[in-house]
Amino acid sequence: MIRHLATLCAITLVFLGESLAKDNKDLVTALSSEVVSIQSNFTGTEIVVFGQASHIQQQPNAPGGFELAIVVEGPPQDITTRRKGRFLGVWVNREAERFQGVPSFYAVASTADIGAIADRTVLDDLRIGLNHLNLAISGSSNVAVSDRDDFRRAFVRLREEAGLYSEQETSIEFLTDTMFRTNIPLPANIPVGDYKVKSFLFNQGNVVSQTEQTLAVAKIGFEQITFEMAQNYSLVYGVLAVIIAIFTGWLAGVIFRKD
Amino acid sequence: MQLYLPIAEIPVNIFVIFAMGGAVGFLSGLFGIGGGFLLTPLLIFSGIPPAVSVATVTTQVVASSASAVVTYWRRKAIDFKLATILLGGGVLGSLLGVILFDILQSVGQLDLVISLSYVTFLGAIGGLMLVESLRAIQRRKAGSAPSARKPGQHNWIHGLPLKVRFRRSKLYVSVIPVVGLGLAIGFLGTVLGIGGGFMMVPALIYLLRVPTGIVIGTSLFQILFTMAAATIFHAMGTKTVDIVLAMTLMIGGVIGAQFGARMGQKLRGDQLRLLLALLVLGVGLRFAVDLLLVPDDLYSIAIRKGAGA
Repeated sequence: MIRHLATLCAITLVFLGESLAKDNKDLVTALSSEVVSIQSNFTGTEIVVFGQASHIQQQPNAPGGFELAIVVEGPPQDITTRRKGRFLGVWVNREAERFQGVPSFYAVASTADIGAIADRTVLDDLRIGLNHLNLAISGSSNVAVSDRDDFRRAFVRLREEAGLYSEQETSIEFLTDTMFRTNIPLPANIPVGDYKVKSFLFNQGNVVSQTEQTLAVAKIGFEQITFEMAQNYSLVYGVLAVIIAIFTGWLAGVIFRKD
Repeated sequence: MQLYLPIAEIPVNIFVIFAMGGAVGFLSGLFGIGGGFLLTPLLIFSGIPPAVSVATVTTQVVASSASAVVTYWRRKAIDFKLATILLGGGVLGSLLGVILFDILQSVGQLDLVISLSYVTFLGAIGGLMLVESLRAIQRRKAGSAPSARKPGQHNWIHGLPLKVRFRRSKLYVSVIPVVGLGLAIGFLGTVLGIGGGFMMVPALIYLLRVPTGIVIGTSLFQILFTMAAATIFHAMGTKTVDIVLAMTLMIGGVIGAQFGARMGQKLRGDQLRLLLALLVLGVGLRFAVDLLLVPDDLYSIAIRKGAGA
């Protein structure tokens, strides 16, 4: 399904790309789908980002030539990272660092090693690459300055282990000299919300063109109704849960009645 | 078959959860316990977020105790007056429990408190039960009859004021220890995701001297309503009751409980109590080991605000 869509979109893009290239636009991109729906059978999915970079054919993947980076970023979150320490012989959470406004999901795909694409300052500025994320911390932190980097590294590592942060260097595949595509896996635990898909075309370390699309991740059907009810009508939800539980228990008591 | 849980926001294998519910249901039917203290840790160890596990197990306990209450009601083995006063304390305790749960979660010490409480309570109760059941087995082998309840026997609890008569239980005691007991167990149950039957039953027998024939039905009746209140408080406070997870556990649980109850009739009471004591101690030990060993990962993260919080 995704493949068919991808081909279809790719064909449209060729025409689109050619017409846009005439308007002096260097980069066009599109997504295989603009909405990811979470239903009860959701176990993760992937989206395909594809596009055309009209200048890239001059020197694809060559050093100092054109490079691409595609970033998929989820809605922001505040996340507390904690470190355990021994206290009276027992392992307990001791220090905590709160990272504010960090992406709930972050995936980057590129045509080359991220560090080779551009200077550190440029990457930091555009937030391209896991080492270039802006992990702002809250003022009230009990973490020693010398330990801050440990917390950042642990945070990124834990997010990577959860499949929510990823860096796939050289994962952008070229279909023709100028057309490219890449698959971004979205794991089952992705948070809902509006995602941004940003694509950057670099030439010799400078951004020459960039695009941005939005991707909506949303629960639909039963999952959506249940979630919204639990959030907005929590009393009704709680009472309903109790009624279901009592009914199930009573029913079992009646069905398996021994006397 | 993978099923996406709407509140936990992760997919789980529905058959694994169903089997867990069934296995714990079997044990709860076998021993006449709610099984919350087994189910909550099982869910946490299998990757369900602790907050969701605790809140959802309260719902599952409602179902499993409702099933048993029907039987005891029919046998008229419930002291409704005693249960109602226990319940008053229980609901208050449950409310306090949800408040503490929220506070602990925000300061990042919820897991620690849950683990420490499991170690303390399971260790203590399991230890007491182990000693008691071993003695009972010894007595049975020696051939002496177990000592019956002495009607004239009193302890300090029977000296407290505000006395009330409980006709069904043939008791005349102060409401203070009754409300206090309900409060303590409602509080612990809500924070730990357990019904607390394994604490309530011995407390009613040894502290209040409620006749054994009435203890289980009365305890189950009060647990049913305390946990119903806890479900609603969790739904409104922590918003972590996952109805899909609860349903799966419930159905597995009530079926397993029927088989457990049949099996239980074939075993002797003191043997059952010995097995249960070992089970309770085992779970407590598992938590103790986790607290004492160097963790695999010193770091952990918790979402505080924004998507998925």
